[in-house]
Amino acid sequence: MKSYWFGDIEGGLCTPFVAGPAAAAARIRSLVTSMDWYDPPDWQQAVACGVCRDRAEYLSILQKVCIAGAEEAVKEQYAQKDVELLQMTRTLDEMDTVINILSERVADWYMIRHPAFSRKYRRTPAHVLIKNVALRDRRGALGEVARGIARLGEARSVLAQEVSARACDVMPNTSALIGGLVAARLLSHAGGLRQLARLPGSSIQVLGARTALFAHLRAHAPAPKHGILFQHRRVHNAPRPFRGRVARVLAGKVAIAARLDFYRGRAVPEFLERAQARIDSAGTGNTVP
Amino acid sequence: MIWIGNVLVSRGEGGVYGERMIGEARVWDPYRSKLSALYHAGTGVDLAPGMRVLYLGAAHGTTVSHVADYVDVVYAVEFAPRPVQDLLEVARRRKNVIPIMADVRSPEAYAPAVEPVDLVYQDVAQPDQAAIAIKNSVFLRPGGNLILMLKTRSVDVGKEPGEVFSETTGLLAAAGFNALESVWLAPYYRDHAAIVCKNARPVMSRE
Repeated sequence: MKSYWFGDIEGGLCTPFVAGPAAAAARIRSLVTSMDWYDPPDWQQAVACGVCRDRAEYLSILQKVCIAGAEEAVKEQYAQKDVELLQMTRTLDEMDTVINILSERVADWYMIRHPAFSRKYRRTPAHVLIKNVALRDRRGALGEVARGIARLGEARSVLAQEVSARACDVMPNTSALIGGLVAARLLSHAGGLRQLARLPGSSIQVLGARTALFAHLRAHAPAPKHGILFQHRRVHNAPRPFRGRVARVLAGKVAIAARLDFYRGRAVPEFLERAQARIDSAGTGNTVP
Repeated sequence: MIWIGNVLVSRGEGGVYGERMIGEARVWDPYRSKLSALYHAGTGVDLAPGMRVLYLGAAHGTTVSHVADYVDVVYAVEFAPRPVQDLLEVARRRKNVIPIMADVRSPEAYAPAVEPVDLVYQDVAQPDQAAIAIKNSVFLRPGGNLILMLKTRSVDVGKEPGEVFSETTGLLAAAGFNALESVWLAPYYRDHAAIVCKNARPVMSRE
């Protein structure tokens, strides 16, 4: 018997498949494994089968089936836990950039208004200055913009908390190892949990160091030691000569953690304990405990 | 191909992506579509009304919509869900676009839906572009054409584009494709080459 998306043909006899586009799309999926690799579907056979009257109708039915199949596939993709986290993390990082750029701009603007003002020796971070401006300038555009930035900042903290919480849910092992936010950033750079789980440790080590990595690959720049992983305290707190080593060890453990997250989906305490000890010892220059 | 002066156009329902119109004709911008760039920079393959096309790497359906204006049917394969949402919208408004969400590395996933085609058009940002084309050539009828948009930087950023190019053409030739034309798509695209081949194998291959 030969099976096509529009029906089964056996000994010249055709049994049409009539069950609507969604069912036909599911049928196409099931045919993948059972069929001899490429047996071209023929619209004339479909006509003989009584599925359609002519080529135009053949295409029209096939299109409905394929649209239904693609819609289902998109839905399935979006139902995965990591997909929304990806967008949340990218929004968060973008918000940080925007807030920083706007804050600096507003600070410059404020200094024009107040020629005697300088940020030197004040230790006033931009966001504090923005809050002051927002309070002081009640009516003008400057204050309105500053208030807008302050509101963005509030939205940002809410989002950051959600990202962190969601990361702990989606990737419990990785989050336990390096914290929810850093874990989420790795995920967003890898493009998904499946993708992250398939990366080797060496790639994870330089995720987020794209410019440096390509400068290294193209020209003779030194190889980057760390990308996003630098944000982990074990890496940026380590003395300079050890940073590369800590980043490498950490990346190796993160690679394992990501695989545990993807394939098991729950925290594995015995792994976390050993991994943590290994990472801690890497920073001190001692060998394996 | 339809030219109005030196502007490439296609005839169909406009407004797909805000393209410019000349009367009823949709302007096909070489800076926005690599296939259009090929028609501007080289010869390409004439799209004819009866043609069946397999389009790998359909993305948002921009170029797909122009190809569909010319030919009988376009089987448009795209893997990423976001562009597929746009591609589906294009398909809903055009009778002859069959959208397929699948990985072009596993053609067996869409083999049940795709007829033998006259043209395989490939525009994917993957390192193994020649291998993907060869895998999908099972759908190509003998004597049919392959247009491969080679993104040399996706194959290997560290290598010279020319080197990647000759490696790819070598692989294609070994797989039974006769090169008809190869054009760099400058000034429209940087480090992109279009390779046009003819399927020289006598029968439909069965792997």
